[in-house]
Amino acid sequence: MSSLRRTDCEGFHRRNFLQLGSAGLLGLSLPGFLAAQASAKEKGTDNPKAKAKSVILVWLAGGPATIDMWDNKPDAPEGIRGEFKSISTSAPGIQFAETLPKMAKVADKVSVVRSLYHTIPSHAPATIFMTTGNKPTAALQYPALGSVAAKMLKTETGIPPYVSFIDLRGGLAGGAGYLGTGYNAFTVEGNANGRDKGDKADKGAAFRLRGITLPNGFSLADLDKRDQLLRTFDDGFRAIDQNNDLVDGLDTFHKQALEILRSEKTRRAFNLNEEKQSLRDSYGTGIGPAALAARRLVEAGVRFVTLGFGSWDTHQKTFDAHKTRLVPNLDSALSTLIADLADRGMLDDTIVMCAGEFGRTPKVNKNGGRDHWARSMACVLAGGGLKRGYVHGATDASGMAPATDPVTPDDVASTIFHQLGVNPQTELQTPTGRPIQLFREGRVVEKLIA
Amino acid sequence: MNRTFCALVLCVAFTAPAGAVDLPGGGKVEKVDFERHIMGLMSKVGCNLGSCHGSFQGKNGFRVSLFGYDPEFDHKAIARDNLGRRVNVGAPDDSLFLLKGSGRMTHEGGMRFGKDSWVYATFREWIAQGATWTAGSGSIVEMTVNPKDFAVVKEGQEKQLTVRAKFADGTEEEITPFCDFKITDDAIAAVSPTGLLTARKPGDAGLAILYRGTVRAVRVLVPAPGKPGVFPKPVNDLDREVFAKLKLLNMTPSELSSDLEFLRRVTIDTTAQLPTPDGIRAFLADKSPNKREKKIDELLAHPLHAALWATKLSDITGNNTDALETNQQPLKVKRSQMWHDWLRKRVADNTPYDKLVRDILTATSADGKKPEEWIAFTKKVDEQLTKGNKTDYPDKPSLDLFWRRQQQVPVEIWGEKVAAAFLGVRLECAQCHKHPTDRWTQEEYWAFANIFGQVTFNQTQFSSPEAKKLATEENDARKAKVEQRNANNINLVREVFVVDRPARMKPNPATNRVPTPRTLGGPEVTIKPGVDARVQLADWLTTKENPFFARSFANRVWAHYFGIGLVNPVDDFSLANPPTNPRLLDRLAKEFTDTGFDLRKLEKAILMSRAYQTSAKPNASNTFDRMNFARSYVRPLMAEQVVDVLNAALAVDEAFGTEAPSGYKMVEVGASRLNNANLSYILRIFGRPPRTTACDCERSAEPALPQTLFRMTDPILLQKMRAPNGRVQSLVKKKLADESMIEEMFLATLSRFPTEKEKTEAAKFLTENTNKTEALADVMWALINTREFILNH
Repeated sequence: MSSLRRTDCEGFHRRNFLQLGSAGLLGLSLPGFLAAQASAKEKGTDNPKAKAKSVILVWLAGGPATIDMWDNKPDAPEGIRGEFKSISTSAPGIQFAETLPKMAKVADKVSVVRSLYHTIPSHAPATIFMTTGNKPTAALQYPALGSVAAKMLKTETGIPPYVSFIDLRGGLAGGAGYLGTGYNAFTVEGNANGRDKGDKADKGAAFRLRGITLPNGFSLADLDKRDQLLRTFDDGFRAIDQNNDLVDGLDTFHKQALEILRSEKTRRAFNLNEEKQSLRDSYGTGIGPAALAARRLVEAGVRFVTLGFGSWDTHQKTFDAHKTRLVPNLDSALSTLIADLADRGMLDDTIVMCAGEFGRTPKVNKNGGRDHWARSMACVLAGGGLKRGYVHGATDASGMAPATDPVTPDDVASTIFHQLGVNPQTELQTPTGRPIQLFREGRVVEKLIA
Repeated sequence: MNRTFCALVLCVAFTAPAGAVDLPGGGKVEKVDFERHIMGLMSKVGCNLGSCHGSFQGKNGFRVSLFGYDPEFDHKAIARDNLGRRVNVGAPDDSLFLLKGSGRMTHEGGMRFGKDSWVYATFREWIAQGATWTAGSGSIVEMTVNPKDFAVVKEGQEKQLTVRAKFADGTEEEITPFCDFKITDDAIAAVSPTGLLTARKPGDAGLAILYRGTVRAVRVLVPAPGKPGVFPKPVNDLDREVFAKLKLLNMTPSELSSDLEFLRRVTIDTTAQLPTPDGIRAFLADKSPNKREKKIDELLAHPLHAALWATKLSDITGNNTDALETNQQPLKVKRSQMWHDWLRKRVADNTPYDKLVRDILTATSADGKKPEEWIAFTKKVDEQLTKGNKTDYPDKPSLDLFWRRQQQVPVEIWGEKVAAAFLGVRLECAQCHKHPTDRWTQEEYWAFANIFGQVTFNQTQFSSPEAKKLATEENDARKAKVEQRNANNINLVREVFVVDRPARMKPNPATNRVPTPRTLGGPEVTIKPGVDARVQLADWLTTKENPFFARSFANRVWAHYFGIGLVNPVDDFSLANPPTNPRLLDRLAKEFTDTGFDLRKLEKAILMSRAYQTSAKPNASNTFDRMNFARSYVRPLMAEQVVDVLNAALAVDEAFGTEAPSGYKMVEVGASRLNNANLSYILRIFGRPPRTTACDCERSAEPALPQTLFRMTDPILLQKMRAPNGRVQSLVKKKLADESMIEEMFLATLSRFPTEKEKTEAAKFLTENTNKTEALADVMWALINTREFILNH
């Protein structure tokens, strides 16, 4: 039935309506919604043609000056070119800024899109555009890419589909939007958000997956003991209504919750002590532990992981910030993540994306900073059947705008989901019954695909 | 009904003599007409949908008007464009249109109809007859469906619908096969592409019949089998209407709820609290015959009841903290609180609903006061804001915060917000095209939007030179107090007012002309200097005769107390979505208007009704009932209710931090976004709306896995179970016998006494686990994790 949905153009088709449509509206829709949500079998598709299984989004909040990173312009006029020289990389003909020596070593494993652009130089809407693949509108909240993955891809029982280490713009982005709260990220708490002090002993120790990590002093045995008691209290309620989807649905969620809590897989993903110390050192501090945990989560079957750090909003002294607090941390974590995935043969079916909400002005301002600039930016894409050692598109000589092969955020989203085996034009319905395509304006960037 | 299934059914062969087409159901079309038949079929088989050829780019070079609103355009596209290859009058079967549509030539949209189908035959005949178009031949004067309003079909039986249209030229014909039929719940009854209903199980479903932009709706009723049951005595007129509908369905109401059931339900519904153990005992001990009425009166007068409705009205009016004027988060939170407090005072005072809405819709900053008075009041409120959460803002006659947003709001968004909030009408489709399942045209959309063309709110404009002078002085004084680099973070005085020239009006993109402002389906609004067009809007809105105003709010109130409205979703009053019980809705609206829009009286009538006080336990006749109130429905709690009910059960206060005073309940908090990460998380997973869009659907109450995980593992919730002065510790300190402690815990959480089995099991648990605090906390954990606890019923 689902394969035919694409030709079901208009709203109102009952199957869609129940499963996707008015999920929040009681009575009318709950049965279908719960059936779809509660049963892992029904949830999403498992397309055998999919090239990629999972995505790790490394988010550079604030908008990184990619002109000083992936699209360095050492030959541009003074006032634009910045302070960094370019260095050669392992990919012939590709150069990065000198601040990225470790990424230079894995450049043969990544694609760099240098012609990415949009037109929104404001943090919140730009973040929404980049992380949802849809231009923000007042009328509708689009789901984050992770929520779309949670909705469209099958996930093994007991595994959370979408995990996030960061809160995007205080929760304004990164959420499930019109898909409904059930598709929000499971959030990681602890010192993994790039703010830790780099104390080795502390690395990874404080990760908690909200709702899934049992608090101290609450063991699985305690859980089972209490659950038995709970069963005796809860059984009577069924008599109130033998025929109620809400009651049944909650029961299913209860079972699922116990499965997740008892599952070793997710919990172990956070136990970074199982990794060699040399590898942990290589990931580094700051976002290092989160990047490593992300790899382990993907191994466990998580479909979408978001991690990252800020602030890349370098209106002042951008070069200092890059040299000290920003780029070295990213360089270690991202390069090790890519190499680590490749070593384990996981890069073939895991997409790594590294981007922020926009680029920054090619012109350096009077405070030695760069301001918001959405008309040109670069992003890194690796793995999942995308080309390796490839640069897509180029900006003009001064880095102001794409000169060739322009790409928009919705194109990137479409390409990623195409690789995940999800048709980017798939039509879903908003709770008001309005039919809506996943990435309406997006086009798959064929040249990026290996 | 699935489109592909339609296509298959349509493939059934019909034989037709040359020159005429046999229709399914025995009818015959002699002369195939472009507007009447071809355009009907184009909608029916899906050619002109937004994701197919109706999209603005078309598909594969072929574009028709979306949902077929433009016959001239469509005729040209089919019969003339592409060098006329789409139709071949000489050899109709070779027409591209038929080759593609029947799937004989590659068609991205697949096979829409078979070559042997009557649909094909109709298209073919039209082409053979010359592929002509007579302008206006399909203009509909009247469309009727038989049966009208209700189609009662017994389980397992069938019923054929017939649809007839009267056209502008005076002719009339049956158009049943050319219509599209859509049923809201095909578990109740299925409908075939040609309008044959098949009943599946007892219940009630909405059926929309669409024919080229004209929409009719019928309710399909499948009565329960068995002998008619005995009905209880109706308490009021609302019950009479509920029962009348149930009789059609042959369903009888469940028995009256027990006192315990009633008390828990009504306490959560009205105040987002739980009854206390002592309160429960007192209620049971009260032997007076009118004790439920006394309880209802008490709860409706409770301060938290006004807070609960202020929260609901905050959703409806869009109290979106993020979007409020100012860049300062703490100030935004306080402004949201002012908004909530303003609403709360009106609910507490039982201000008539029409006045409440008028004071929002026509709000200005100055309220007609002299500039110096307005500035003085603004200064006072702003100073109060720096000190705490309480301000004099609720005393302000109008809610100007409604119009005070950081980003300028386009007129059409005001139109959509106002229509959804106060009319329960969703207009957004009509922004770009005629609403496919409702009456609204693009012209009406923009005419309604333009009512808001005078509203002005920006940093530099004020209602008079005097106001500007005083505001500028005040703002300069404020700026002087802070350093230059913080200049962006000053709370400046700004004014909401209306200008004489409605500079912000917009054209209808379809005609490129600016439509005269007009109420929805009502009179035009005159724009004159010195006159606020919004006042005329409010005048029209709040008349007793307005078809939406009283109904939409009465429906919201009903939906709050029953978990489902008479129109669902509550902000989707449309032709294709008629009320489940129109007479009941009329009755509610009449009660509401007759009492001068008295919310308290409306609520009391609802809460006193036998329908509200019915038990949640189904009987043999009503197990399948989901929308006719034969029993009380098990329903999820609002996110704010979850927070408050949990705290009530655990006897703890919420830790709001600086954003709300301690001791506040969640329903008393105005902000849609809090910095308190823990609370934000709970509110998010339980579906509190961000209040961004003008849609009731933002509040999602559906259960989700994180909610269950939260109740099981949340560290703060687990701490609360052991809080020093919380329920568990207090009981331990009282040194009660195990049995009494268990009883207290059940009363405090599930608002009932434990059964014998539960008592035994819990007692056994307490004996086996010697640490009393830990053991009791475990019992508390188990109670809070029951479904019975987290749902209202």
